[in-house]
Amino acid sequence: MKRQVPLVLCFVFGIAMIFTRFSPHSVSQWIYEEVISWILIIGPFALVLATVTLIQTHTTRIRRRTEHWQYSLVVFAGLIIMVLIGVPFGPQNSIFEWLYNNVQLPMDATMFSLLAFFIASAAYRAFRARTFEASLLLLTAVVVMMGNVPIGDFIWNTIMSWSPWTDKVSEARQWILDNPNLSARRGIILGVSLGVISQSIRIILGIERSYLGGGD
Amino acid sequence: MDLWSSIGIWVAAFLTLSIYSVLYRDNPFYRFAEHLFVGVSVGYGIVLSIYQGFIPFAWKPFTAAMTGESLTGFIKLIPIGIGLLFFARLSPRHTWLIRYPIAILIGFGSGIAIPNVLRANIFEQTRGTIEPFAAIYAGTLAGWGIFEAVLMVVGVVCTLIYFFFSTEHRGPVKWLSKVGIAFLMIGFGSAFGNTVMGRVALLIQRVDFLLSDWLHIIQ
Repeated sequence: MKRQVPLVLCFVFGIAMIFTRFSPHSVSQWIYEEVISWILIIGPFALVLATVTLIQTHTTRIRRRTEHWQYSLVVFAGLIIMVLIGVPFGPQNSIFEWLYNNVQLPMDATMFSLLAFFIASAAYRAFRARTFEASLLLLTAVVVMMGNVPIGDFIWNTIMSWSPWTDKVSEARQWILDNPNLSARRGIILGVSLGVISQSIRIILGIERSYLGGGD
Repeated sequence: MDLWSSIGIWVAAFLTLSIYSVLYRDNPFYRFAEHLFVGVSVGYGIVLSIYQGFIPFAWKPFTAAMTGESLTGFIKLIPIGIGLLFFARLSPRHTWLIRYPIAILIGFGSGIAIPNVLRANIFEQTRGTIEPFAAIYAGTLAGWGIFEAVLMVVGVVCTLIYFFFSTEHRGPVKWLSKVGIAFLMIGFGSAFGNTVMGRVALLIQRVDFLLSDWLHIIQ
């Protein structure tokens, strides 16, 4: 009951998805669409559980007065304001949209842009053309970065003004992306895909059971 | 510009600068913005999943069934019940019940992955790799195009050989896998270059916002 039923459910839903994907019959397509809608219903419950866990974690931090516990109140403030405005009035509500455009969106973009500094710092420390492979990686990265911006062609033309290859860095970038880069990516994609398929078969057949966790 | 737009720009500028302040060192402004970001993002995720998942796929069919419009809506009680089992996690005695919805999600994901990955990632990628040879055979591809087609096949095969561990990498396999490493390095270099430029583009956009929308230094 505790382990066998989940294994059966996993098998049934896995096989159903494979079967309905290959069968064009209308019943099969109805089952496919119905299961998709089931997943879209079940999924949000997992998010709510994750939120409950987040609330528990921060409540514990506040109760125990751990270091920087005051910031847990900020988490709650952000969460509660978004939910109190968004759930009753919907995501089209003007206040909800204002919060999204002026609070979440700028922070999201800024957080991701921080990586530019960390990547530059890490690259400065780690990038050393010690071997042929490392030099290849460095050279490719430089060409791709230079080819991405107009100033790249300007720098290239200034340095290579004596050569016949002017305005070539953006072309070189595109050629690298379309040929050697694409072939390496295809190799990785093919390898990963074979791994995904074999792992999926193992899960559906109940050979891989780690998702059930420990215990009886 | 109305008052709310102006307040919005000031709030966004304050939060942007608060996050960038971590570049100097960890400080209360950054911690405030970081925690606010977590709270707001989770809240936004809940609202979207309710309005794009729960309401159209569960609530509306269920209310339609209740009013007698379409009785098939009662079927939605099954996934709602399965979803509620997630909360068994909060009761130590009934924690095992969470395996049911997880097993369904995992089974669904695995089942849908097989045909989709087969089609999109294996058949299509293989087709894209060997398709130029049809053009070579038809005589529509020549010179540099042939070189690129051969280079593509060599790159894909050598990359796969590098990841093939069922045989020891000695002799020709070793050299082919070395060629595979060279292709991989070009791939990683390209990915690195594109990632850096993507992040720099975001940085430029934020600086543009600060200088243009907030401070009006540039137009």
